[in-house]
Amino acid sequence: MRREYEGVFLIKNKLGLHARAATVLAQLSTQFNAQVTLHQGDKSAPGDSVLALLLLESSQGKEVKVTCTGPDAQDALLAIGNLIEDKFHESE
Amino acid sequence: MKLSTLISEDCSKAAVLFNSKKRILQYISELAQQKIPSANQHEILEALLCREKLGSTGIGKGIAIPHGRLPGLNNIVAIILVNQQAIPFDAYDDRNVDIFVALIVPDGENKQHLETLASIAGKLNNKAFCKRLRQASNDSELHQVLVEFDK
Repeated sequence: MRREYEGVFLIKNKLGLHARAATVLAQLSTQFNAQVTLHQGDKSAPGDSVLALLLLESSQGKEVKVTCTGPDAQDALLAIGNLIEDKFHESE
Repeated sequence: MKLSTLISEDCSKAAVLFNSKKRILQYISELAQQKIPSANQHEILEALLCREKLGSTGIGKGIAIPHGRLPGLNNIVAIILVNQQAIPFDAYDDRNVDIFVALIVPDGENKQHLETLASIAGKLNNKAFCKRLRQASNDSELHQVLVEFDK
């Protein structure tokens, strides 16, 4: 059975999905046996590619949809959702 | 945004040879200082090092985008360097890095910064572009690759 989970999250941190945030997200994505994809508007990016994530230009206040498929999909979605909610561990 | 406009020919350096992260960043700050007379080289280097301490700017596939913020800067200063050999840069995919696109950006301007990053990422996401950057044998040829892929 194909396991697919998705969630929509608000980019809260001041700098948005900038280089450091994208790198942290990509690092996290590779820790799971799951295919992670971020969607914003008509653009999408694999969660493990920093270059592709930067192309989303997700700034503060934007909503991104995260879809995860594969054996670890549920855990991956939870972890990535928490990271975005936690402002990528940034202070503002 | 056109990369060939963002990065001038005198900020395009092909086939350079540095053997460490620190050396590369020193050279970047030296080049950047020539474009920012109001700042000194040490200040620029500190901004770059400070950012690397937060996490490597190695974004995978042999590419790094070292950057730093300088208060009071009017324009973005962008530099491209292609090193003759890939060097360790603590990139998240563990690959060594040979393409460096460095940015010195004004403080604040977060949205503009994201746009700049996206323009650069859009180009670097193209394998053919990266291949041509690596093949450029002199500075003028390297800049010409930027011009060509802006068309």
